[in-house]
Amino acid sequence: MYRFLRCTHQSVPPRERVANGAWSVTTERECDQLLVERVQAGDQGAFDLLVSKYQRRLMRLVSRLVHDPAEAEDVVQETFIKAYRALRHFRGDSAFYTWLYRIGINTAKNFLVTQGRRAPTSTETDAERAEGFDDADSLRDINTPESMLASKQIAHTVNAAMEALPLELRTAIVLREIEGLSYEEISEVMACPIGTVRSRIFRAREVIAEKLRPLLDFPVDKRR
Amino acid sequence: MDTNRKLREQISALKDGALLDVDLELALAALQGSDGRQAWDLYHLIGDTLRDTASPALSPAFNARLAERLAGEPPPLRRAAVAAESTGLAAVLAKTASP
Repeated sequence: MYRFLRCTHQSVPPRERVANGAWSVTTERECDQLLVERVQAGDQGAFDLLVSKYQRRLMRLVSRLVHDPAEAEDVVQETFIKAYRALRHFRGDSAFYTWLYRIGINTAKNFLVTQGRRAPTSTETDAERAEGFDDADSLRDINTPESMLASKQIAHTVNAAMEALPLELRTAIVLREIEGLSYEEISEVMACPIGTVRSRIFRAREVIAEKLRPLLDFPVDKRR
Repeated sequence: MDTNRKLREQISALKDGALLDVDLELALAALQGSDGRQAWDLYHLIGDTLRDTASPALSPAFNARLAERLAGEPPPLRRAAVAAESTGLAAVLAKTASP
């Protein structure tokens, strides 16, 4: 039914129609827009294709904001329902996925508010959890971050620091590092200036890096 | 913001391919120092670690549950939206035109 659609990653420029005109390749954004227009024309199956395409990416994003997997899944469900309801007004001014991510983040925020949870501030980061490893000293002795143990401790520290980040910083770094969005795309999703995106991502990295430093030995710069 | 922090922010943007051209020389110079190099290493380590961490999978019932909910929703027809918008516009114009 949809075999005429050959979706490529957005970063790949669209190719011209081949000489014999048999098929063409569209960008990811164009592909999504075609599906959206089909939904808007009454084709429910086209929305199922969008759900199938984005459900795991959305879960990956939302589960970084809402930690309980069952609750995160409910937020993903709600996001798709809201997107479906609002789709008649979607004009394609932004990419479908940045629009969908924005709905997902707002739905997650609202969920956290209704659950009476507040995003932690940077002053109450979970220092104990991030730093309180019994064998942190032995990590320094090993001095091989590539080792399995070090990798586990690094992963634990990064994830604990992530969980303690304020929601805005966590969202920004997830969109950048995990979803691979550009600063411009993140500014669209988070409805803030690009300078704010840059600052949020930097602040998130600084907080996490501060937790990692005790676990890692860095060579001293002899030129100083 | 202290100088080192500002330079680390530029390194952060450089890592993401989002550094302004005018700041490039300073950022590259900062990477020669231990603070800049540490920041570069740590920022990449953080990104790699975040991408390596598995996220929870959706439950097997996810699609069936969503399909059931979507079935109860009216289709989001663009024609309906356009009609509603034009009706709304017509109403506004009528109201504006009326004395």
